Amino acid sequence: MTLDTLFQQLYDSPLSAAIRENNAAFPWIESLHVLAITLVFGTISVVDLRLIGYPAHRRGARQLIVDLLPYTWAAFGLAVASGGLLFASNAVAYAHNSQFQWKMLTILAAGANMVFFHLTAYRRIIDWDDALPPPLAAKIAGATSLALWILVIFFGRWIGFTLSIFS
Amino acid sequence: MSVQDFADWLYGTSLSGSIRAVGWLIPAIQSVHILAISIVIGSALVSDLRLAGVLATDETPATVVKRYLPWMWGALGLLLFTGLIMVLAEPGRTLGNAIFWIKMVLVVTAFTLTLVFRKPILDPEFRIDHAIWAGATRPLAWLSLAMWVAIIFCGRWIAYA
Repeated sequence: MTLDTLFQQLYDSPLSAAIRENNAAFPWIESLHVLAITLVFGTISVVDLRLIGYPAHRRGARQLIVDLLPYTWAAFGLAVASGGLLFASNAVAYAHNSQFQWKMLTILAAGANMVFFHLTAYRRIIDWDDALPPPLAAKIAGATSLALWILVIFFGRWIGFTLSIFS
Repeated sequence: MSVQDFADWLYGTSLSGSIRAVGWLIPAIQSVHILAISIVIGSALVSDLRLAGVLATDETPATVVKRYLPWMWGALGLLLFTGLIMVLAEPGRTLGNAIFWIKMVLVVTAFTLTLVFRKPILDPEFRIDHAIWAGATRPLAWLSLAMWVAIIFCGRWIAYA
């Protein structure tokens, strides 16, 4: 079974049809998706700016991350859930859309950057928790994260303008 | 002159045409608009959750609001600028749309509430627990958040209404 067969099956599913056939379903799910991504970027930008060296509402970077990351994760969960439904509603077309593919790759890259940071510089955060400016590793992690999430938002918006009705 | 007439006239201007002529411009402007609203809602989230007593209660409200309020105003400027370009490019789609106007009323209300209930907190003489509205601090914080959420929903629905 190829990926395309899988996507076609998804498209043929009752759930997918229900979203397509209900005029309000897609707009509501999409609005929820937009809300979710603004919360992801809105919260993560506070952490990333702190990692770059821009002060937050508290001095310690560790506590800031502990404060805010649960909200980022919750928002990301909502983004994945709503995004999954949006994808399902037109799976084959989205799967073949370059901007969608780039968006997925960029999200993976953002995740990889985050994992790398948590396994390296974050392990030593007690050493640089209060430091402004933060160490280079933290600055790179923060800047990379910001850049990647900004790209995710641009790619996401571009899907709407480039989606082909032919798959 | 009706709104439709004005929108038609605006659509016919060379400025409007020029914006629409550059294929990548409207998507790019929309993306910047989304980034700016992310700054607003991220800032509002932290500030409002602090005032609701949910987040960072070991920091004073003034400390929290001081960090985020300037970013909200900056992002508002960016939102108005990118929003204006989108209205200029597609006046009928915006000015002729009830959801757009509901969004504008919500935006004015939300930022007025921010001005009235957040800006005073920055004054070192201000005592938030002595404010006339001290008892309403938490509900107002949740209301504020609800308004930003409603604005975001309206923003997307403009395309569908």
